[in-house]
Amino acid sequence: MKSIRSYHLLVGVLLIAALFLTGCETGHKFVKKTGFKDTDKIVITFAGPVDEAWASNVANFSAYEKPDPDIVLTVKEIVLSSDKTKLTLIFEAPLNTGEAHILNIKNIMSEGQDMGAAMLTVKKLYFGVLMTILIGAALINNFVFTKYLGLCVFFGCSQKRSTAIGMGIVFTVVIAFAATMAWALYQFVLKPYQLTFLNIVVFIGLVSLSVQGVDTILRKVNPILFKAFGVYLVLVIANCIAIAVPLMLADNEYTGWESFSLALGAGIGFLIALFMMACVREKLELAKVPPSFKGLPIAFVVAGLFALAFLGFSGLSIY
Amino acid sequence: MNQIIKITFALTISCVIAASAMGLAYTVTAKAKKHNHHMNVQNAMIGLLGFGKDNPAPSDLKFLNVYRYIVEDGDKKFLGYMVPVEKGSEEAYEMVLIDLEGNFVEKLEVPISAEKAEEDRDRATALEKVLAPPKIFTYADASVIATAGGKRLGYVLPGKFPGFRTFIHALVAMDPKFELLGLEIMEHEEDAGLGKEIEQEYFRNQFKGKTYEKLKTLEVIKKPLPMEYKKYLEKSKWEEGMFTEEQIAEIRKQYKDADIYAITASTISSKAVTGGVKNVAKKFAYRIGKLDSVLKKEKIHAAF
Amino acid sequence: MAIKEKTNTQLFVDGILSENPIFRLALSMCPAVGISTSVMNGILLGTAVLFVQVCSSCTISLVRNYIHPKIRIPTYTLTIATWVTVIDLVLAAYMPVAYKAMGLFVRLIVAFAIITMRLEMFASREPLQKSFFDGLGMGLGFMFAMMVLGFVRELLGSGMILGYDVLGFKPLLFFVLPCAGFFVVGIMMGFFNWIEVVYKRKKEV
Repeated sequence: MKSIRSYHLLVGVLLIAALFLTGCETGHKFVKKTGFKDTDKIVITFAGPVDEAWASNVANFSAYEKPDPDIVLTVKEIVLSSDKTKLTLIFEAPLNTGEAHILNIKNIMSEGQDMGAAMLTVKKLYFGVLMTILIGAALINNFVFTKYLGLCVFFGCSQKRSTAIGMGIVFTVVIAFAATMAWALYQFVLKPYQLTFLNIVVFIGLVSLSVQGVDTILRKVNPILFKAFGVYLVLVIANCIAIAVPLMLADNEYTGWESFSLALGAGIGFLIALFMMACVREKLELAKVPPSFKGLPIAFVVAGLFALAFLGFSGLSIY
Repeated sequence: MNQIIKITFALTISCVIAASAMGLAYTVTAKAKKHNHHMNVQNAMIGLLGFGKDNPAPSDLKFLNVYRYIVEDGDKKFLGYMVPVEKGSEEAYEMVLIDLEGNFVEKLEVPISAEKAEEDRDRATALEKVLAPPKIFTYADASVIATAGGKRLGYVLPGKFPGFRTFIHALVAMDPKFELLGLEIMEHEEDAGLGKEIEQEYFRNQFKGKTYEKLKTLEVIKKPLPMEYKKYLEKSKWEEGMFTEEQIAEIRKQYKDADIYAITASTISSKAVTGGVKNVAKKFAYRIGKLDSVLKKEKIHAAF
Repeated sequence: MAIKEKTNTQLFVDGILSENPIFRLALSMCPAVGISTSVMNGILLGTAVLFVQVCSSCTISLVRNYIHPKIRIPTYTLTIATWVTVIDLVLAAYMPVAYKAMGLFVRLIVAFAIITMRLEMFASREPLQKSFFDGLGMGLGFMFAMMVLGFVRELLGSGMILGYDVLGFKPLLFFVLPCAGFFVVGIMMGFFNWIEVVYKRKKEV
């Protein structure tokens, strides 16, 4: 148990480290960091102080959205920070921060020295994009409360808190595994050979295989864990979220990491939904419910209230 | 052992049967799907240009596609427009390369028929012949120019922009002076009762008739849509004698420079559509201007 | 063994009423909540489910003697997935607008518990004719339930039926909002239970 945990931790740390590294590259030795601020600003951080005269010349900077190299965005104003290492470019029109921007800077002058020209890519941190997808799938577009998927298992497994947690965890693990596989299969086999019409069969087969695989591995590696969670494995196949996630990432052409975070978010969202529902339903046992509403009907009404509450997350943007 | 072989055999057979059944269904439906999609877009475009039952489209109405590519040659970037040109009686395609400032670089003949040009794949293979490495080209978008009787009737531009849930696909129509002719929402996944209302006439038709000058500064306002204006916008629900000619003219004048009234409880969707339309129209107006001046200067006889 | 005594008509009626997949068996709830915003949606998805259910039931019933018991479930899944793919392709090609309205749900028919359950409990044991009627009953039962839900939500939410303005005003926009599906389904279920309770009490008296 302990060894598995530390191993997971290590993998997790490595993953996060890898994500951070991919997010911060700038491509020029004198430029430390670039990024968007608000909706109409780009902030550039230099490794040393830059000359004020150079920095205040708007002609030294030109920017465009990566897919539209011919449409140059006009810089309205430049603000230099007091220690002269941070430049804020204020643009005339709001920027489309979802898109990567290319920023061309003419010969950077630092203390009278020419540091050369720079072509920088300004984009949202990839990690931020992934987190947006993850939190989006878990809360804002929660699969149970806003997409209305996986309801059979949701109502079936939310009577007791322990069941809810077990089901949620198993589901998260299986879906993350299956969706990543599905992404690879879709991108490298189905799409290049124009077999996308086989999507449904392939994905459901893949989910069944993942369930079987996790079952076998868990049984061998950790029988105690298997005893606790094994019963939920079969139910994963009956959950339509498990099919919906691969279909969605195929439809929207997600990348590998994005697919992984979508699946993880979907799993976590399902876990949250199950847990909250289970808490309420345990209390409902003690409540005086009209006899014809006992059981499922009242559970549906409660779920409706949750769905209303989850509407409050809509439109939320974090990164 | 015997059992395993038996099971494997049975599974393989059933998989093969299932796969061939699906393959058959796919081949049968693929053509129909493409055809229906094409017709759907075609009808939407005709409708956007203002033609309908009582105003039939001219028989020589043609929709010409201009495909835009981004061509990279080492560090340098160019825009490549694949334009239909008149060559005797036949229609041919030429790739016109323009640098980022809008100056002509070169033109290349693309060996492709009009029918095949509509397919992304066929276009790519044809272009590979004329744009050999180290030149790399990536497809950007396609704009449609509607012509009839040798004159431009308008432009229909496809737009794809993030909405509240996922991407919204739309068609934006403009006349040659870049005045908006209309907006059609093709695909979206907004919520029923909320963002889905962007499909409705009372929202879409608000864009109609906005001049290019107004469009540049078009905003979304969070005010209830005036009743009279709403009735005017819902053209399909008009009844005989609901509006007199004068009333129509007056409403049109009154709201000509009005901003877009947001859909109740769906400001994000409304803003997404307005911003998207603005963006698509502005970019296109800029580009077609550059392209036209190059075509004129280089005496390229484009079919539009 | 009770199943065997039932006639075709009984099988058919049971699927719609006493074994209604949504209101009585509480299976395949996702579309019932998700896209029951209009009667049309109910009819369309109902037709798709009916098609998949009947075709899968018939297929399994035909080959029931050749299915190895160990690979029973994979065979069911494969059969259902094949028919779902077929209906998915057909709808996408010939009815693109309706297909868009239903979103993922057509493809998610593959994960509907109700279809697999009928294959396992019925079609794998019974001859073709009976399986056909059972599938028909179940499919129509699903369609009926979806239409009832769609009727309530469309009428109360937008004052329309099948896109025609009936009431002329919108009584409660809330009903057509996505999350209202939970309330409508819950209340309908409670209502059906209540009818049953009242009915039983009357019988006893």
